[in-house]
Amino acid sequence: MKYICSVCGYVYDEEAEKIPFASLPDDWVCPMCRAPKNLFVPEESEAREPADEPQEAEEYHDSRKLSPGVLAAIFSNLARGAEKQYRAKEAEAFTAIAAYFTRHSDSGDSSSPEAIRALLSDDLSRGYPDLRKKAAAAGDRGAARVLVWGEKVTRMASSLLERYEKEGEAFLAGTSVWLCTVCGFIYIGDNPPGICPVCKVPSWKFTRIE
Amino acid sequence: MKRIAVRNLRLCTKDCLCLYVCPYGATDTEDSIIDASKCTGCGICADACPSGAISMVPEDYPPQQVKTDEVKNAIEKLAYSRTLAEAKARRAASESGKDGLRRLMKAIEGSSRLVAEDLMREGRYMLPQSSNALDLTSALLDDPPSKDFPEESAREILSRIRCNDRKESGGSYRCSVCFTEFTADEGETPICPMCHASGKDLETI
Ligand code: SF4
Ligand code: SF4
Ligand SMILES: [Zn+2]
Ligand SMILES: [Zn+2]
Repeated sequence: MKYICSVCGYVYDEEAEKIPFASLPDDWVCPMCRAPKNLFVPEESEAREPADEPQEAEEYHDSRKLSPGVLAAIFSNLARGAEKQYRAKEAEAFTAIAAYFTRHSDSGDSSSPEAIRALLSDDLSRGYPDLRKKAAAAGDRGAARVLVWGEKVTRMASSLLERYEKEGEAFLAGTSVWLCTVCGFIYIGDNPPGICPVCKVPSWKFTRIE
Repeated sequence: MKRIAVRNLRLCTKDCLCLYVCPYGATDTEDSIIDASKCTGCGICADACPSGAISMVPEDYPPQQVKTDEVKNAIEKLAYSRTLAEAKARRAASESGKDGLRRLMKAIEGSSRLVAEDLMREGRYMLPQSSNALDLTSALLDDPPSKDFPEESAREILSRIRCNDRKESGGSYRCSVCFTEFTADEGETPICPMCHASGKDLETI
């Protein structure tokens, strides 16, 4: 039987490895992206449909008005676009507006690791499946691309928070936290991975969080 | 489609082949930025550059792909929740006395912003030249959310970027703030030359 890493696609083949997946220790991680064991899925069910129809999640967002946080992301993204077109002045102006909205963004009541993980879990169980369904219905491959990267990155972030809740500071002490500046993948280790396991850019695109 | 040459200063080794070949002297400038007003887009310099430092970029961009309302809505919902996670992580990082948690939260803040940016790029705000991006900017300038909104930056954007998917018809305008009358060319966002008012402060005459 084969098990597949739901973050980077690494295949654990029980026959080749000679150790049944279930017998691997709990702290075993993906050799490519360091995703924990529970993010692996058996090969047959890889294309598994979410068990339930994703519920319409209307209650958690009113999209008629963009929040300051979303506006910040829109303008910092436009700044990137201007920069790629070598328009430095325009990039600077978009960045100033993004910074304004970042200052005004609202963090709600709790900012505990648990509260953040609850938000990410909700995205994974409802937000992404909902977008997947809508994108498929519209035949929108651009939206499908955003989905593939974002979902993997979110899974990893959520599993790191889970690990923090269980193990506390210990697994971060004496090592570095790396962020892929292209897709947002987070990696814990002394050195960044050779290529990003999610978006495949080379290691120099990773930045070390100081 | 008209293109112009731009030089990537990080890749440029200053070997100066492009200086020799440009028929219009557009590559020969004191700040190393190719003079867009002289460049005709012939591409000779890009072919000659040994370092791949010159790209020919389009002056105009095609309209963005259209999104269905359902897809747009699902994207916005996700972006909303990701930016909420971003703000929480930013606060957690600044309040945390523990070094590991602080770094993890900074990573989650950065990661969430990247994911949200990518979502909104797909959710119809990909191009600075799109009417979505410019209309949003001008709506914010018309009705700033608070006093510290950087209005100067919004004006700068509107005066420098030409919309790619809607042709301003051009014509004469009267500013209802300072009563200046002025004309704007086709494709140009009308902005009052005296007081920089735009949008609903202008009437067509
Ligand atoms: S030819 Fe290329 S490397 Fe040489 S000066 Fe021009 S841009 Fe720079
Ligand atoms: S594209 Fe032609 S005109 Fe423009 S800078 Fe290069 S050589 Fe000069
Ligand atoms: Zn993996
Ligand atoms: Zn990446």
